[in-house]
Amino acid sequence: MQRAYVTALYEIIKKNKNVISCLSDSGTDYDEMIAREFPEQVINFGISENNQVAAAAGMAATGKIPFVYTTSAFIAYRSYEFLRDDICLQNRNVKLIGMGTGVSWSTLGATHHTTEDIALLRSLPNLTVITPASPKELEEAVKAAYKHIGPVYIRMGMSGEKEIYDDNYDFELGKNVVIKDGKDLTIFTTGSIISEVLEVAEKLENDGISARIVNIHTLKPLDVDNIIYECKKQKNIVSIEEHNIIGGLGTAIADTILGNNIYVNLTKIGLEDNFAEGFGSKNDVLKSNRLNSFCIYQKIRKSI
Amino acid sequence: MDYEKITKEIRKEIFLTAFGANIAHIASAFSIVEVMYVLYEQKILHYDPLNPTADDRDWFILSKGHGSLALYYELYKCGFFDKDMLRSFSKPGTVLGGEPCYPLTPGVECSSGSLGHGLSFAVGVAKSKKIDGRNENVYCLVGDGECEEGSTWEALMFASHMNLDNLIILVDCNKIQKMDSVEKVIGIKSLKPYFETFGCDVYEVDGHNIDEIRECLQNMNTSSKPKAVLLNTVKGKGVSIIENNANWHWRLPKKKELKYFMQELNISEEEVEYAKSLRNSVV
Repeated sequence: MQRAYVTALYEIIKKNKNVISCLSDSGTDYDEMIAREFPEQVINFGISENNQVAAAAGMAATGKIPFVYTTSAFIAYRSYEFLRDDICLQNRNVKLIGMGTGVSWSTLGATHHTTEDIALLRSLPNLTVITPASPKELEEAVKAAYKHIGPVYIRMGMSGEKEIYDDNYDFELGKNVVIKDGKDLTIFTTGSIISEVLEVAEKLENDGISARIVNIHTLKPLDVDNIIYECKKQKNIVSIEEHNIIGGLGTAIADTILGNNIYVNLTKIGLEDNFAEGFGSKNDVLKSNRLNSFCIYQKIRKSI
Repeated sequence: MDYEKITKEIRKEIFLTAFGANIAHIASAFSIVEVMYVLYEQKILHYDPLNPTADDRDWFILSKGHGSLALYYELYKCGFFDKDMLRSFSKPGTVLGGEPCYPLTPGVECSSGSLGHGLSFAVGVAKSKKIDGRNENVYCLVGDGECEEGSTWEALMFASHMNLDNLIILVDCNKIQKMDSVEKVIGIKSLKPYFETFGCDVYEVDGHNIDEIRECLQNMNTSSKPKAVLLNTVKGKGVSIIENNANWHWRLPKKKELKYFMQELNISEEEVEYAKSLRNSVV
């Protein structure tokens, strides 16, 4: 995912000298590729996310387009008030890339997890929230964020996400994507956990249950029309997210359903109001928290 | 110039505006009257009230947003808006909030008031100016109590490392914060060694001496460091009962206290009554 981010950013930086990559000691080998060629367009603020975020707002006020890249937990939690007051309240054209979302940093534990950021950031006016599921989708999200005038948060996983799209993937900000067709239930999902969801669908298929998968890559603005459309033709709806079930994707779908008088069985799958437990590989942590494909499959079998 | 007369008049207008709004941070505005006068009326800042967002303007950021009335007075005085708008302060429909709000108010560069934000914002502006090779300066006024916010020091480390000599930090050292003196709250007598350690050229002036402030701002050295000007001020300056008194951070005078404001700022009964009559108005 990092390589996809830097590749997309490199192309943008090459085209527009006002685009600035803002790091808080959070760069990678890939960033050096940009820094070597465009040193004026890469700034390392040091380990100081609050200053980095507010300074990015100041830079945007003078016509720059800062891409603030750091660990998502530090952007979403530590800098929340700076995001709110300096970027969202003033509608500054700053792009925020939170890397290592969900439980990506599985060996490090909960201080480095980001499992409540959707709840926090979806509630900020003016902010667009995108959760790409694959490298290709991330590249497209970065391009879309650049084109969009206003603040954007990109929720970027970092655990070797595999590509799920072909080269012709047509990303459109705010438009859901049907990843797989199916007739017995519809799964809404977002972000890196798509790999588990695809395995879940296979397991269900083996039981003769055909699941439709809809990827909601843009969590704000939500593709309300598509969610209504999907929920009107299917009674069994499941939301799957690498996030607390409070305030995340499931909540967003529930709000949409309730607000439009639709009656369906909604099963929200995610962290059940706990901090993710355990260490090890990402798969280990997903398993410890009953979010690996097998546990998700079991939950779905119980609910429908 | 009769500076005493001028600054008394400014404090009178600030007080009447606050009185008409029924509440404001008067004491925090009173401590910065002189520096705001120097910046705007003595034209340390380059600005055009008819084109407040001109590319060649200097930037002024009031990080201690609760001193807003001192900024609004100068914006009014320098032609950014008229007196009716000044007197609409904090009322329904106004563009002058208790804390500065972007992009509502002409001449206000960013929303501020949550302490510890403005300096980082200013650093971003100053860094952009450097990248673009432009000569405009960025002035940021912070409070001494505000410097307890950690982001202040994050911003300073970055500003000095980046050689942001176009950044001038004005520190209102009125020595009092909401609950008590800065020294009692956090044990700091002088911020000078702190700003020096964090890589600034530090100046110290009498924050109520207009000539001294102006001369300092006009004669800053040309080193590559950011500049910090410590303004030694008195919180509540100009009205004896509120000077150096933390209780006056966020309140208006009661009936018996009003006479001190009237006597010391030359305010008539009629002016008080008129301000009062504005309390329930809508813009």
